Amino acid sequence: MTTTQHTAPTVDGTTAGTATYVYAVCRQLAPAGLSALPGLAEGFPVRALRCGTLTAVVQHVPAADFTQEAWEQRLSDRTELERCARAHHEVVVAAAAGGPTAPLALATLYRSDERAREALGQDAARFTAVLDRIAGHAEWGVKVSLPAGSPRPPADPPPDGARRDAPAAPGAGRAYLERKRGLHRAREHRHDQALRTAEDIDAALSRLATAARRLRTHGQELTGTAARRQILNAAYLLPHERAGDLAAEAAAWRARTGAEIELSGPWVPYSFVGEV
Amino acid sequence: MTELDQRPGAPPANGPGTTNLADILERVLDKGIVIAGDIKIDLLDIELLTIRLRLFVSSVETARKAGIDWWETDPALSSRAMDSELRAENRELRDRVAELESADGNGNGNGSAHSARTKDTAGT
Repeated sequence: MTTTQHTAPTVDGTTAGTATYVYAVCRQLAPAGLSALPGLAEGFPVRALRCGTLTAVVQHVPAADFTQEAWEQRLSDRTELERCARAHHEVVVAAAAGGPTAPLALATLYRSDERAREALGQDAARFTAVLDRIAGHAEWGVKVSLPAGSPRPPADPPPDGARRDAPAAPGAGRAYLERKRGLHRAREHRHDQALRTAEDIDAALSRLATAARRLRTHGQELTGTAARRQILNAAYLLPHERAGDLAAEAAAWRARTGAEIELSGPWVPYSFVGEV
Repeated sequence: MTELDQRPGAPPANGPGTTNLADILERVLDKGIVIAGDIKIDLLDIELLTIRLRLFVSSVETARKAGIDWWETDPALSSRAMDSELRAENRELRDRVAELESADGNGNGNGSAHSARTKDTAGT
């Protein structure tokens, strides 16, 4: 079911044993920059496929190498996963150089160009709406992190430490317990504050943006550092001329909160094409 | 760390090879328009189970090689680390309280002992 063999070339350019991989959909496409890219299957050109008023960016790929099983293998291999993700991204970026481009998720495959044209054509209204929405915009990634903070006793004794109605006995046990509780409270306090900082920064940046999305925060296993804790991972859809405002706002929050605020972009608006 | 690759007004141009892989993966895999293809590739299964695991394992190995053992000790990192830390802490506290109570015999530490137990059940 997953592998499709074609025995003969057809009018739409389908060749034997190939499937049609779709990278993105745009309005117009200057295919100049595309044909030089390897895409996911070297030897097969990355090209434009006209679908009514839209243009899809596609490539023939060997069908046998693009089955569910093949993908499972491929994506379980970190090197291959990286190669595929970057190859897909590279084509999307090249296509976007020519105008608004809606990227498709990795691994969208059709049996033939004709089938791709048919399926994409059915969704033409959705694609058009998405392209309208992202025209003149780019996505910016924002990651905010704070020092992870080593647990240490609060500078002042906890407030309820003042409630010393019990007979003196300044036992080591009580002091010990209070210190432990103080540590726990300090940790909770830091956590609450971090969440509030994240919300404040997100709210401020959202005001500049046409749309905003929260992404999953990266744990320390992904950021690769134990020294900082990521408290916000978000994407903002910004008109091109607003990029400077975002950078300025980020700098202001950096100064105000001491948080590390990392911007990435401009991205093709991956995070803003999924739903309209 | 890409600090700011800023070209206001320029079309999106995140160059391949220069961009953080995790940033690309979370977009290419999790985002983008999803439409039904002829060839059914269930990336969700693969993605959630395999990729994240692989990424995690490889970076944990990197971290371990670098001598960073945060995943075992940082309470903020994982709930399991948090639980075991709390449990160890509570055990320590209960022992200490029992020791103090038997020493002075008047049960002065009751309030604290109670709150330690409450935390124990809440934390596990």
